Amino acid sequence: MSLAGDIMDEQQPQQGIRLTEQQLRARRARSIAIALALGAFVIVIFAVTMVKLGSGTMSGGDTMRPVQTTK
Amino acid sequence: MSVTLTRVEPSIAGVGDYIELLKPRVMSLVVFTALVGLVVAPGHVHPVIGFVALLCITVGAGAAGALNMWYDADVDARMARTAGRPIPRGRVTPGEAAGFGFTLATFAVVTLGLLVNVLSAALLAFTIFFYVAIYTMWLKRSTPQNIVIGGAAGALPPVIGWAAATGTLAVEPVLLFLIIFFWTPPHFWALSLYRSDDYARAGIPMLPVVAGAEETRRQILLYTLILAPLGAAPWLLGFAGPAYGIAAAAIGGVLIALALRVHNERQGYRASKQLFGFSILYLFLLFAMLLIDRLPGMLLGHFA
Repeated sequence: MSLAGDIMDEQQPQQGIRLTEQQLRARRARSIAIALALGAFVIVIFAVTMVKLGSGTMSGGDTMRPVQTTK
Repeated sequence: MSVTLTRVEPSIAGVGDYIELLKPRVMSLVVFTALVGLVVAPGHVHPVIGFVALLCITVGAGAAGALNMWYDADVDARMARTAGRPIPRGRVTPGEAAGFGFTLATFAVVTLGLLVNVLSAALLAFTIFFYVAIYTMWLKRSTPQNIVIGGAAGALPPVIGWAAATGTLAVEPVLLFLIIFFWTPPHFWALSLYRSDDYARAGIPMLPVVAGAEETRRQILLYTLILAPLGAAPWLLGFAGPAYGIAAAAIGGVLIALALRVHNERQGYRASKQLFGFSILYLFLLFAMLLIDRLPGMLLGHFA
């Protein structure tokens, strides 16, 4: 919520939708799940980047091929 | 789609409701068969890349499940087996499910394409499209061959796994595809025999509803007679060892015996329920044995 939004809320305390305890709890749980999913996605990208950098695939040019570690 | 939910208040959907949209039980079978496709493929895939491939295939399958629940919400609400799903229960709106499914599908396909390879991503995109557009939107409500043709979507994960590992296709993944493809009709028809009232009420033209129980029992037996030799084919074609062949023949024999009992059953659905239960175990065992068959070679390759 922005500062402008906070001020508007103070001026019009009766306006808007008031979430019930259950709705607030559900929203918080969903928000945490989305945060965890995004965090996991970041880790996946990081891990794959490390693997591809480690194998020299990134400098090789063809990043579309699976990394073959057998030599 | 004729479901119109007019809920306007903020959502009370929990994380569990969204997980339910992904059809976790279907996902577990997908991740397992895809893993087998990945592992039996020649060459060695880096574990991180293999994990990412499996994750994308699993999420993509889940996304297809969510899109199926979005489109089928009206049908689901009329069937006892599916009336408790998040949309008919009013926990998630159809729009929320559609947004969730589209987002996950896009992420899964793009991530697989960028991090693993384009062929596997294209196959995953095709699988999701086939399941949602061809099976769910078109075939399911229009023909008793719905699950026969639609079964192709469920049969593709091991092919995607193979493509993720090799970047190419071969006879072996096609064989895995055929096994699941011919497994799907007897598996679902066994279920639909004792759920035919449910399907009739929902207006789904499943084979027992359209052609009757007797024809369904005959078709179950015919497909099982094709499936059992197909199950042993990886050994016959030299892709798996004799231990696999003997075990596949044995459980194939059990499957045929059960299908025969279904064929001869005139009262009740005991044999149908047994066949449905065993068909899940059959597919699991078949793929687990392929995995075990490849394990020694894999470990040798890893430590050599």
